[in-house]
Amino acid sequence: MADDTLIAVDNIVTRFGANTIHDGVSMSVRRGEVVALIGGSGTGKSVLLKEIIGLLRPTLGSVTLFGESVWQVNDAALRALRQRFGMLFQDGALFSSINVARNVATPLFEHTHLSTADCLQLAQLKLALAGLPPSAANKMPNALSGGMRKRVALARALALDPELLFLDEPTSGLDPISARAFDHLIRTLADNLGLTVLLVTHDLDTLLSIIDRVIVLSNGKVLGSGTVAEIKQIDDDWLQAYFAARANTEK
Amino acid sequence: MLPSLHASVTDTCLHLEIAGTWRLQTFKQIPRNAIPNATSSVVVDGSALTYLDTSGAWALLRLLHEAGIAVDTPNYLNFSPTHSAILDLVRQNFSASLADTAQTQRSLLAQLGRLVSTGVQRAHGLLAFVGVLSVEMLQLLRAPHRFRLREFTNQVEVVLVYAVPLAFAMMFLLGLVFSYLLGIQAKQFGANIFVVDGAALAVCRELAPVIVAILVAGRSGAAITAQLGTMKVYEEVDAISILGLSPYSVLVIPRILALLIALPLLVFVGDVAGLLGSMLVAAHQLDITPISFINRLDQVLDTKTVLIGLLKAPVFAIFIGVIACYMGLNVAKDARSIGVNTTATVVQSIVVVILLNAIFAILLVELDL
Repeated sequence: MADDTLIAVDNIVTRFGANTIHDGVSMSVRRGEVVALIGGSGTGKSVLLKEIIGLLRPTLGSVTLFGESVWQVNDAALRALRQRFGMLFQDGALFSSINVARNVATPLFEHTHLSTADCLQLAQLKLALAGLPPSAANKMPNALSGGMRKRVALARALALDPELLFLDEPTSGLDPISARAFDHLIRTLADNLGLTVLLVTHDLDTLLSIIDRVIVLSNGKVLGSGTVAEIKQIDDDWLQAYFAARANTEK
Repeated sequence: MLPSLHASVTDTCLHLEIAGTWRLQTFKQIPRNAIPNATSSVVVDGSALTYLDTSGAWALLRLLHEAGIAVDTPNYLNFSPTHSAILDLVRQNFSASLADTAQTQRSLLAQLGRLVSTGVQRAHGLLAFVGVLSVEMLQLLRAPHRFRLREFTNQVEVVLVYAVPLAFAMMFLLGLVFSYLLGIQAKQFGANIFVVDGAALAVCRELAPVIVAILVAGRSGAAITAQLGTMKVYEEVDAISILGLSPYSVLVIPRILALLIALPLLVFVGDVAGLLGSMLVAAHQLDITPISFINRLDQVLDTKTVLIGLLKAPVFAIFIGVIACYMGLNVAKDARSIGVNTTATVVQSIVVVILLNAIFAILLVELDL
């Protein structure tokens, strides 16, 4: 059981000046789960994500990834740890000076000793897995649509065949059709590649279609964790309004 | 455990047994050219496989492909469900990964053509920019209340006030060094007092305008391009247009006018600083007291010389301002473009300043000024 926990967040407290974002957040994610982190604006979802992947130091508390404490290991160990997970940033964060294929191949160039040709072909494979046509490979990032940027970013996150994937609002800025296709892609990859996924989202459709478990952040704490059906039972104004918004549009 | 592949041929069947860890980390250890060319049916046995990821699966399929076996034909046996799922997913996308996307090398002629065409487009764009700017300026004359006074004063503060210490320090040191080197020569001929003549002429007519213009191009020109470029990337410029305002009157004109005011004033600061530096050297190295320095200055420094220096400045300012604003408003929507255009602003501004200065020099000599 303990071996199965990939992410363990223990009593995180985050303060920016006098502003307390997290006031004792604890959660964990097991191998093979697809977990969504939800909460109203300003509840610190993205901040928590950054603390988990070692970009932002929490005021108090500890984060454990693959059994190693992110904020206690040395730089070399943290770099090694980072090769075991992929991260999809909200706007893709593609490197604007190199083309799509090289964007995806960058982690391979940096962390493996493969030949350039092998790296580029593996990058092509990742692009195909992310649902992009081969013709996209030579484009520059500024020539891509929002949906394609996300797919390229996903391909780059998958480049090192990570076991764990973090997604920050994967469907934001996409039209509903592209968003559903992207959801489906994430689920397919998670199922076939045995990936563990932690994603931050506002998208109710994502929640209802591909998620195993939901973790709700509210007032700096974890309000609840469980399947969508279990979460719906929680008596909380924001959560009820969140699910009611969906019910209203369907009427 | 290292990845391995064992091939055996029985009657009509090629039997491939793969074992070990087939993943990105062991990619280099995956054996190449280990599969004999097969004419018969192929069986791939994955029962001894301990780990498979997409890179490992791709390497396996490439081995088959290179041995002339289409990846869909073999019988994949005894793979665990996880491995089988990965293998299937990679197999579906295998042909796409081999697609030849190598960029075709452009011929020399095509590259030259592209270069000329971008050059013409740039020149055309700059001309259009100057045209629109002139029209907007004229419209502003008709409706002066539309002038953005606050933006203008902010820009004057940034371009002029904050640059005074830097301009002063640069020209002071330059005047000092120039007079020192001139003094060494002049001393040999006992012509100490002529150092004042030389320094006054050089500082006021050439050094101060050019050095200050280069300082402003590097400091304010780059800042303007970077700022307008970032505003463009974040669609702030579009927002200004949509609110019924003109980006020219809101952003461009205040900046160019601020440069127009600031540069002559900075050149004057430079004149004073350069002469002070010269005065210091004269007092210590050449035994010319500040009083006699100023007396001599009064005799040899024409108002005309100072005015020529000061009048060059607004011309430099207009060119720096137009280049900086044009480059800023013409960045593409990515981070790299802002850097490229900022560099271009500084390089082009400095080249233009030096070129204009040369034209001025020839022109003024021809006009006997």
